Amino acid sequence: MDMTYAASAALQASAVILQITAAFFALRLIRVSGGRVSWILICSAFCIMAIRRSISLGQLLAGGPHPPNLLDDGAAVAISALMLAGVLLIPSLFLTIQQAAEMMRRAKDDLEIQVAQRTEELREANAHLSVELDERRRAEQRLARYTQELARSNADLEQFAYVASHDLQEPLRMVASFTQLLARRYRGKLDQDADEFIGYAVDGANRMQRLINDLLAYSRVGTRGKPFAPTDSHVICRDARDNLAKAIEESGAVIFQGPLPVVVGDEVQLLQVFQNLIANAIKFRSAESPQIQVAAERQGHEWVFAIKDNGIGIAPEHQERIFSIFQRLHHRSEYPGTGIGLAICKKIVERHGGRIWVESHPGKGSTFYFSIPEVKQS
Amino acid sequence: MKAIDKEACRPIEILMVEDNPGDVRLTVEALKEGKVRNNFHTVADGVEALAFLRREGRYAEAPRPDLILLDLNLPKKSGREVLAEIKDDPELRRIPVVILTVSQAEQDILKSYNLHANCYITKPVDLDQFLEVVKSIENFWLTVVMLPPR
Repeated sequence: MDMTYAASAALQASAVILQITAAFFALRLIRVSGGRVSWILICSAFCIMAIRRSISLGQLLAGGPHPPNLLDDGAAVAISALMLAGVLLIPSLFLTIQQAAEMMRRAKDDLEIQVAQRTEELREANAHLSVELDERRRAEQRLARYTQELARSNADLEQFAYVASHDLQEPLRMVASFTQLLARRYRGKLDQDADEFIGYAVDGANRMQRLINDLLAYSRVGTRGKPFAPTDSHVICRDARDNLAKAIEESGAVIFQGPLPVVVGDEVQLLQVFQNLIANAIKFRSAESPQIQVAAERQGHEWVFAIKDNGIGIAPEHQERIFSIFQRLHHRSEYPGTGIGLAICKKIVERHGGRIWVESHPGKGSTFYFSIPEVKQS
Repeated sequence: MKAIDKEACRPIEILMVEDNPGDVRLTVEALKEGKVRNNFHTVADGVEALAFLRREGRYAEAPRPDLILLDLNLPKKSGREVLAEIKDDPELRRIPVVILTVSQAEQDILKSYNLHANCYITKPVDLDQFLEVVKSIENFWLTVVMLPPR
């Protein structure tokens, strides 16, 4: 077999492969481009060319006539070698492209799956959130309802206390007045028993009168309170001491007053708190002469006031009870009073949004604390 | 001259309009301790009070009071209505009316003065204070103050 023939055959063969490959690519492009007519035509053209080339290759191999204008032997060998190399390269290139496309497709699929997953997760989170939101809204509604009910019941109670104490005054005034009149006119004129009975009746009526007055005062904390305004607690404490001048002098009490701040509150009510606490410090004094310290300290967003004494102190088990209305720890003959003072203090402090508490040990004095929140003045 | 003497010596006529007999009695007791000779009259509701002042029905012979002690919360016709009618009547409006009540309500005080009450006093709870108040009413209105001729 001469070289020209072999080269020609190789050339023909590689041309066939090239045209088939081209046809194949064109076919792919038809798929990718959604069957565009131009690609179909190109594909068809390559197919026809490949068929025709195969026929002439077949003729060549069967020993048919040589093509008329074949290239010389050397060039033919070189070209066919190049063609072969190209042909060999094309499938690998094609494979790489296919692999890349495959990878991209997979990446795209992965991405789509991930997006779907995230969307699903988000949807679930959203559903969860909306359930939580509903729950919270319901809780808020419940809270608002309870607050409203509480406010109403508080108002009812205050109204009740006020009306009861006010309307009770009238018949009580009669009992008290006439027992007092009886005592005035007939003490010592009847027998000893009569004097004793009259004495108990007068005492009972007087005490009831004080209780009712105190109840009235207590109910007025809520109903007769003034709007809050900036108030100098230094001045208030000084006024309280002025009001208690007689008790301070009689007991020989010494009061140390530290610097006290301006707070926002009801001046009259805060005066009552200072006065009640200082009066208690004097009233419940020990054998020593009373030494009372009044101070204030800023703690976060509130002022904490402290009234410290060297009095008889309070056992831990009673420290809650003393702030309840009409609670007394001592017999009336030891320390007079109805037990309203601290209850009124508590109600006033709570009206200001603060707390009141005591730290004390029997025999070691007491420190009463109350807090008044700092209100930003706009 | 004789007429003035007679006028000066006659007892003072006081009308108390009060539905609580306890208060009436306490006032009587307080006036007993007082210095001014007085005739004390009492009616228990607003309708009776106006009948007394206008000498109607069984009050045809009633004297004209020198001072009226008027409670605000009364049956049938309230103290406010009685006060309004007294001060609207040219014959009666010169009689000093002292409101004597348990109410400390601002609106009651304001309304009473708007209706030309001559003064407003809340009944003290304490007996001694009550007696003191009645005595001071008696002293102020019947000895300190110059009243118009009858």
